[in-house]
Amino acid sequence: MVKKGKAAWLRPLLVSILAILFGFVMGAFLLLASQANPLECFLYLFQGGLSTVTRLFNTFANAIPLIFTGLSVTFAYKTGLFNIGATGQMMIAGLASVIVALTLDAPRVILMPAVVLAGLLAGAIWGGIQGLLKSRFNVNEVVSGIMMNWIAHWSVYYIVSDFFQSPSMLTESQTIPDAASLRSPWLYELTGSSSFNWAFVIALASVLFVQFLLKYTVTGYNMKAVGFNAEAAEYGGISVGRNTVLAMAIAGALAGLAGVAYYCGYSSSIRIGVQPSQGFDGIAVALLGNLSPVGVIFAAIFFAILQTGKGFMNAMIHVAPEIADTIIAIIIYFAAISKLVDLYFDRLSAWVKRRRQRAKAGKTPGERGGEVQ
Amino acid sequence: MDVVLEMRGIVKDFPGLRANDHISLQLHRGEILALLGENGAGKTTLMNILMGLYAADEGEILIHGKKADIKNPRDANRLGIGMVHQHFKLVHNFTVTENIVLGQEPGNFCYINLKQAAKRVRELSETYGLEIDPDARIESITVGMQQRTEILKMLYRDAEILIFDEPTAVLMPREIDELMQIMRNLAAQGKSIILITHKLKEIKQVADRCAIIRRGKLVDTVSVQETSSQQMADQMVGRKVSFQLDKEPQDAGACVLRVEDLSVKNNLGAMGLKHFSFQVREGEIVGIAGVDGNGQTELVEAIAGLRPSCGGQIWLGEREITHLSVQERIHAGLSHIPEDRQRRGLVLDFTLEENLVLGTCADPPFSRHGLLCRAEMHRHAEQIIENFDIRSSEGTASTAGSLSGGNQQKAIIGRELEKEHRLLIAVQPTRGLDVGSIEYIHRRLLEERRRGKAILLVSLELDEVLELSDRIIAVNNGCLIGELAQADANESNVGLMMAGVARKEERHG
Amino acid sequence: MKKLLSLFVSICLLLACLTACGGNTDTPDDQPADGGQASEEETGTGTEEETETASDEAGQTTLKVGLCCGTSSIDDKSFIQSAWEGLQRAEEELGVEIGYLQSSDDSTTATVEAIGDLVDAGYQMIVMPGFSFQQAAFEAQSLYPDVMFVTIDTAPQDADADTYYIADNTVAIDYDAEQGGFLAGFGSALQLKEGEFGGLFGVETDHTKLFITGFMQGVIYANENYGTDIHLNADNFVWSGTYSDAALGQQIAAQMYENGINLIYAAAGSTSLGAFNEAKSRAENGESVWVVGCDSDQYEDGLLSDGEHSVTMTTTMKQVGNSAYYVIEQYLNGNYPGGEYLVLDVASGALSCPEVNPNFSEETQALVDEMTEKIASGEYVVSKEMVDVTAWN
Repeated sequence: MVKKGKAAWLRPLLVSILAILFGFVMGAFLLLASQANPLECFLYLFQGGLSTVTRLFNTFANAIPLIFTGLSVTFAYKTGLFNIGATGQMMIAGLASVIVALTLDAPRVILMPAVVLAGLLAGAIWGGIQGLLKSRFNVNEVVSGIMMNWIAHWSVYYIVSDFFQSPSMLTESQTIPDAASLRSPWLYELTGSSSFNWAFVIALASVLFVQFLLKYTVTGYNMKAVGFNAEAAEYGGISVGRNTVLAMAIAGALAGLAGVAYYCGYSSSIRIGVQPSQGFDGIAVALLGNLSPVGVIFAAIFFAILQTGKGFMNAMIHVAPEIADTIIAIIIYFAAISKLVDLYFDRLSAWVKRRRQRAKAGKTPGERGGEVQ
Repeated sequence: MDVVLEMRGIVKDFPGLRANDHISLQLHRGEILALLGENGAGKTTLMNILMGLYAADEGEILIHGKKADIKNPRDANRLGIGMVHQHFKLVHNFTVTENIVLGQEPGNFCYINLKQAAKRVRELSETYGLEIDPDARIESITVGMQQRTEILKMLYRDAEILIFDEPTAVLMPREIDELMQIMRNLAAQGKSIILITHKLKEIKQVADRCAIIRRGKLVDTVSVQETSSQQMADQMVGRKVSFQLDKEPQDAGACVLRVEDLSVKNNLGAMGLKHFSFQVREGEIVGIAGVDGNGQTELVEAIAGLRPSCGGQIWLGEREITHLSVQERIHAGLSHIPEDRQRRGLVLDFTLEENLVLGTCADPPFSRHGLLCRAEMHRHAEQIIENFDIRSSEGTASTAGSLSGGNQQKAIIGRELEKEHRLLIAVQPTRGLDVGSIEYIHRRLLEERRRGKAILLVSLELDEVLELSDRIIAVNNGCLIGELAQADANESNVGLMMAGVARKEERHG
Repeated sequence: MKKLLSLFVSICLLLACLTACGGNTDTPDDQPADGGQASEEETGTGTEEETETASDEAGQTTLKVGLCCGTSSIDDKSFIQSAWEGLQRAEEELGVEIGYLQSSDDSTTATVEAIGDLVDAGYQMIVMPGFSFQQAAFEAQSLYPDVMFVTIDTAPQDADADTYYIADNTVAIDYDAEQGGFLAGFGSALQLKEGEFGGLFGVETDHTKLFITGFMQGVIYANENYGTDIHLNADNFVWSGTYSDAALGQQIAAQMYENGINLIYAAAGSTSLGAFNEAKSRAENGESVWVVGCDSDQYEDGLLSDGEHSVTMTTTMKQVGNSAYYVIEQYLNGNYPGGEYLVLDVASGALSCPEVNPNFSEETQALVDEMTEKIASGEYVVSKEMVDVTAWN
């Protein structure tokens, strides 16, 4: 029994690691093809992500939005939904929090929570609309999610350029005041001038929140039931529509926090005409993290290492910048198909087992194991 | 007699479970061998090994005395083994012949000689008494004929060994008789048949020998003629099975469920249930008899709150529940064993623990202030598992999807009976279950009756309705045709009513 | 399972090794900036690490100059490419070591991270071409006081501040872009004599506006003094909002040509390439349409399939590369102009039309050359103010 429990988390871990390994192997071939030494490249990649305090915390800072979006996708998945709209939720939440940061004149103790709350609510509403469209009009959340991404894109474009444009940078909003930023001088000093910020604490708290919500609350139970089997949920007296909206709103809120972390923590303004990559990367993070809230933390940090280390690798070795991106893309690809790896995992272990049996049978020829040949 | 197939010491392990434990059996030429066992006993696993879908961990298979290596169904077909699956694998807009030759088309690569194929199909059909029209389209023929197409498919491929997996589950009573005849014909012409079933009646009717499997082990292989149904059932279940229902006469109490002039639309938007009125009282079982699709689903779903009604009222005790939510109905004392246990009754990805509080998890003691009391859920689950003998690999932590059909049904019944209720709606409570489980569930229902609960039983098995119900209501085309007390009801008069032949009463409304 | 477990353990060990190695080879980022000391030209190349150590010990080593590209690539056929070509020339002629780095996104934080990557990789001078580096340059110059920064087309400025601040380790370079725009507009008007001109630009900035007003003034000057009849309409000078969307550029250009515009002044980075494509496909079909390029000579980009004719009338050459080269050269000569704001113009050779313009007649070329002289000498002054073109609709 204990052994079984152990294997339950060990197996997805191994599957994820295998996916990463395949990614690196494929990346190595690519690097060889472009006449670079793969080992050297990977060394710089990891050095870039981990070697100094600054780099380590920059990695963590880069991981924060990914933790949120990964968590958002994971949560949606657990409730039977596919949140492809994290990008839009991030943008609209970023917009809301930047607006609050720029317009609300309040001390830091009020302003900072207000900024976070604004983003959270905006993301929740954006996600909730998708949920509502699904429950009311049977619009698939993938379709509405993609469309809502573009609505968010252009909303940000016009609202920022009409009302909050930076005087010097026309593609950006004004910079938010320090009092609204999730960064703090104290953390800046402590982490060697990195972009690490308080959002990390919120991210970890969110992971615990999601874990708790899904496992220990009636709401979580209801949302999961609706996700796994809507008809059974209906039979059990659980409102399918309400829980779908709620689940999408929570997923949206999580992605919204990614927006807050990105625009008011990592960055300090919102840019127009650009969609943050973290929205879609969240899907890969969620898959690599085996769709578990805790797994998401590690998967996000791993992606962030690559993200942070990529620049250093490129600066140290003259390979085309696209190569580094391609390697990351390959790893993301393998992460995304880690379910496939999961499939082959069975065959692999079956093969190992057969080999072992055959070896055993070979040793004791008198005792023919009645294997079907 | 020649032995055409021999399986020796077959072992198959699944994680946490030995599905086949050194099973050996022989099949003779021209013989019908029944494979009898409870759900999850390992019958299907054994046959999947024979078909090459699984590899056995130990043991060997001999065909005509030669060791055979069956890696996939193609190998099995090559060796003359064919299987008629429970769920047919037919292309609906193809003709019978086209379906039969699919994958083995005669002629060259640009021309399929269907005429020649149709001729052969007709010959085969005549030889074995299948009486099938080779040119009919699948979508236009009955389920029984579709099954014959599957049989022909095997014969066309010169199968010597035919495996029938629960072949009667989908058939009408008359079709079952015909199938039995076909199987006898096949055996008489030298084919060997393995019949997987848990219906003793059929085994008695058609089989020569019967291999009984219990929990992965071969218990015994008996001659059907020399063994009684009772003996086989006892061996299959591993204890004494009582076929005699212990039903005592009992006076019904106050009215619990009152349905008045209820009309409900079906999925197509037409009236599926028309001006329906009846009552169920305390300590009474009311059975709804009818052919599938005559308004039973609409009736049950309207009472359970899963489908809006468009006329009439439903009363549970003194309370009108016509427009209440499912949750409110559950609180008012409704328990419901749904028709489709996998689609409605369980969340297959949930653990047993979680499934056993479906419908009640928002109430104490399973949750307080919106937080689940996992410990209480666990205790509750353990109690139901023990009381209802639910077998699973990981106890309360097993997912519902990993359970066998019978155990899934037991879990639902356990949940619905354990929860506080006044009315129990049981729809097809024994569908697809083996005799042991059926007997158990029937006893449970009667016990409910003794405890003064009102029970509405909806079943397509007429025997079940006749045996259990105090009163029987026949439905046809959404209308109540008539009502009979148990004493007055028999197969023929209820059967007639089910067919809509009865005095048509004028209904007010 | 055991085998897989051991595999897992070995991966963990490998990762631990990598991080540990990282810790060991880590060098603090305080490389001496030499304070303007000339260094000998060294062409000997060692491994990266040797170079690093060498630079730590002495500072008598090859200068490493890095180009920070933002999210653009070094082959954008425009601004960044021009800067990179300048660095390549410095590599060849001055023997410096060069490299470039793209950042993952164009936020200030990501740009500063990219600068940090270059600094950690041992680059002593970092060139940042483009207005988008304003904030990043401001942060980087104080974060890495020992590294030299060169901003082109912009100056370090904090987002909240009203004006720029150039630290002693930074050189800011800007251009009187209106002069370059004037020459292109003047030459094109003289060559075509009549028709209507439009423009395609990237993101609306003060700097880009200078190009537009200069170009318009050039056309008007030709209309007034040389009797040409070129129409101008302010609505036909369009901001695409991006420097990297060729498809959008092509769409806008197609619409303009469709509306009867003969020549488009395309100064929008890679977005311009769309305008070139559109003009080329129309020219192949016999239409008479033209493009004026920007930054580096774009005659090649306008070549038709016959390889002889080009739709590129001329180019406003902004010698971004030369500017970067100039700073490197100055540093090697011991005259690093740290803390200065250099404004380059036609007179300093940083702005011009290409020396050879195959689409200009000899007469036009002569007049353009003459005009160049006039502007360089200060005889003619191009205004920085936006002009009103309603009279020339």
